[in-house]
Amino acid sequence: MAKQVIVLILASVLFAPWSALAAESSCVECHRPQPGALGDPVGQWEGSIHQRHGINCSSCHGGDPTIMSMEAMSLEKGFLGVPAEDDIPSFCGSCHAGVMEDYLLSAHGQALGAGGPHCVTCHGNHAVELASLDIINRDLCTRCHEYGQADEMKSAMAKVDDKISSLQEETRRLRKLGFATEKIKNSIFSVRNQFHQLFHTVNVETVRSQTEEFSQELEKIDQQVAAMHQEVKNRKLLGGGVVVVLGAICILLVLLRKTYKDEEERVHPPGPPSMRP
Amino acid sequence: MSVYQRVVDWIDLRLGVRDILEQNLTHYLLPRNINVWYTLGAVLLTLFGIQFITGILLLVYYVPDTGQAFDSVQQIMNEIPFGWLIRYLHVVGSNLIVIALLLHMLSVLFMAAYKTPRELTWVSGFLLLNLTLGLCLTGYLLPWSQLSFWATTVATDAAGAVPVIGDDIVRFLRGGAMVNEATLGRFFALHVMGMPLLFGLLVGVHLFCVRRAGISRPPFGDGYVPRGPRYTFEHEHHYGGIPFFPNYAVKDAAVISFFLVLLAAIVFFWPTLFMPPAGFEPADPFTTPEHIKPEWYFLWAYQTLRIFPDKFLGLAVQVAAMTFLALLPFIDRSRERRPARRPLFLICFVAGIGVFVALSIWGHYA
Amino acid sequence: MSDPSKSPPKRRAFLVTLLSGLAGLFAAAVLYPLWRFLSPRKGTGEQEKVRLERASVPLGGAHFFNFRGGPAVVVQPQAGSFIALSAVCTHLGCVVKWQEENDEFFCPCHAGRFSPRGEVLGGPPPQPLPELNVEVEGDQILIG
Repeated sequence: MAKQVIVLILASVLFAPWSALAAESSCVECHRPQPGALGDPVGQWEGSIHQRHGINCSSCHGGDPTIMSMEAMSLEKGFLGVPAEDDIPSFCGSCHAGVMEDYLLSAHGQALGAGGPHCVTCHGNHAVELASLDIINRDLCTRCHEYGQADEMKSAMAKVDDKISSLQEETRRLRKLGFATEKIKNSIFSVRNQFHQLFHTVNVETVRSQTEEFSQELEKIDQQVAAMHQEVKNRKLLGGGVVVVLGAICILLVLLRKTYKDEEERVHPPGPPSMRP
Repeated sequence: MSVYQRVVDWIDLRLGVRDILEQNLTHYLLPRNINVWYTLGAVLLTLFGIQFITGILLLVYYVPDTGQAFDSVQQIMNEIPFGWLIRYLHVVGSNLIVIALLLHMLSVLFMAAYKTPRELTWVSGFLLLNLTLGLCLTGYLLPWSQLSFWATTVATDAAGAVPVIGDDIVRFLRGGAMVNEATLGRFFALHVMGMPLLFGLLVGVHLFCVRRAGISRPPFGDGYVPRGPRYTFEHEHHYGGIPFFPNYAVKDAAVISFFLVLLAAIVFFWPTLFMPPAGFEPADPFTTPEHIKPEWYFLWAYQTLRIFPDKFLGLAVQVAAMTFLALLPFIDRSRERRPARRPLFLICFVAGIGVFVALSIWGHYA
Repeated sequence: MSDPSKSPPKRRAFLVTLLSGLAGLFAAAVLYPLWRFLSPRKGTGEQEKVRLERASVPLGGAHFFNFRGGPAVVVQPQAGSFIALSAVCTHLGCVVKWQEENDEFFCPCHAGRFSPRGEVLGGPPPQPLPELNVEVEGDQILIG
């Protein structure tokens, strides 16, 4: 029993909604009532993907949210404050390290500080949402350059993106039917991760050649999934046959019973059954 | 003389099999107004036979070890040819058995067939029902999935409501503080050996009781008159009745094949009807899945425990209800069996079913 | 088929014929999956070669290992020359032992004796021990 209690406490701590803990932080307490740029980020962050996954103010901006005074924002407590534009990639890259690397190597990253876009340009800051291909759109891209190349990359990647989502959905469905989809799930996940590295290269050639490769890999996975779908179909076909045969047996037995019933009634016509002799 | 004839003659000379067969098949007469509900015994015997065979087949590949159980079941489901079929037959079959058992019990209740001289038949049947539920419970743990682990945790936890020794009972059931290897070991032993042996024995007792006392005449029709009191043993004969074989055996076979159609239809077209997704996730003692619910036939008990503010009270009510059912023939002692002349019983019967269904639905949606 | 004008026994005979046909079909539908379920599975490693560390076979000694589900042995009579054999005695199926002092295999069941090449030296075995193909690849030995 004692062990059980410990596990329950552990579980409740591990899975407690982080927002509840974060809400008590001094950052939110003090900043929420403030006007303008000092208070707005709190509301923007609430409901964002960062907030939902327990990433709070101090995760990015540093400082100590447990101190209820200005000391929470002292340099000794690792407070970073608002990053300068050139520092934004390393600010976000402290967690999204791989993406930062891809970005810095890309044309976008090379143009950092010379009017080139940084993370916030496309992803926004506090109200950040799960990234999707929709970030590549005419409005956003044409702020700096023509949309043509971006559109070309987007449509090349959209195919792979759709395929990944649909395969993920299908494996979830097959899993619920009892199929062992662990391996397939892992290979989809691995392709997905490699594929996501493409997003920040912003290089048409790389995107074109690599999406081709990913498509081929997904094609292989698709065949495995198709084999499982075929198996589901085969089972239903076999089942249909068995049910029909059994159903026919059942009907024939009912008819057979009727032949006896007819005989029984011929000997003893229906009516009150005779009492024991 | 054909070879077949000669073989039968040879055996008959030594064991008198023709006589036995005549007595129990062709010359075994059943009441003329016997109805379809009397086939449920044969249906259950068949379904249990299927559980027995598929159970042995699963045992060929199943590994009763917390580290390997889930993978071995996954292997049965995915790699062994037709393993999925054997497993789903076992899973769906167990649920159909509970349905058939409940119908069997309800028909016996409605026709008051439990009354003297058939009290022992009723009690052995009631024990069989409980043993079946025990088999369901112990079998549930064996795949070592999230569903197995947490359903067993919750089910064994209910015993903790017993005052004073509750925690000790829970520990004893689990073989430790938590559901673990020890639990799997004892549940496995019970599920594949202990309970089936006891079950076979009890089926023997049950059938002996049925055969010895004679089939009860359905209490319907103008000619039915309740039997007067008996002071010595007397087998209930049905002179002028219909032979068990082939006349009624065909009806048995027809209803059995109907249940097989049902079984096959679910296994092939709706296999996960009784298998929530948590049944396909390996057990994780540190993560309780959301919306964990017991099997449908335990929902009434689960909801009873939740209605009462005190767990012990809930448990006591369950035990009282089950004890009342078990001892019904000793409580309801009138000789009248015709439903129309037992209004109080009928009200309780309908109300009982209503409460069971209502509690189950409530438990499902709560 | 349930023509009421026909007598019950006639209908019955017809129904029983149909039923036995269907019952046969159903029996096949039961027996085939059962047969497949219990058939030995073609293990993925059935046709694979077994790889051993060369150092695991001492000079003049023997190393017993599992070869495609059965016991097998590899010996090194002279430095660098390896012989692999099935370790199952051809007499009644016991597993032979290596006797380093005599340089021969000895079967403990009925005293069958084999040379390091598998030839019968004495006792009841009717045939030599089957030899397995050996390849040496650097510090590894490939058998099969």
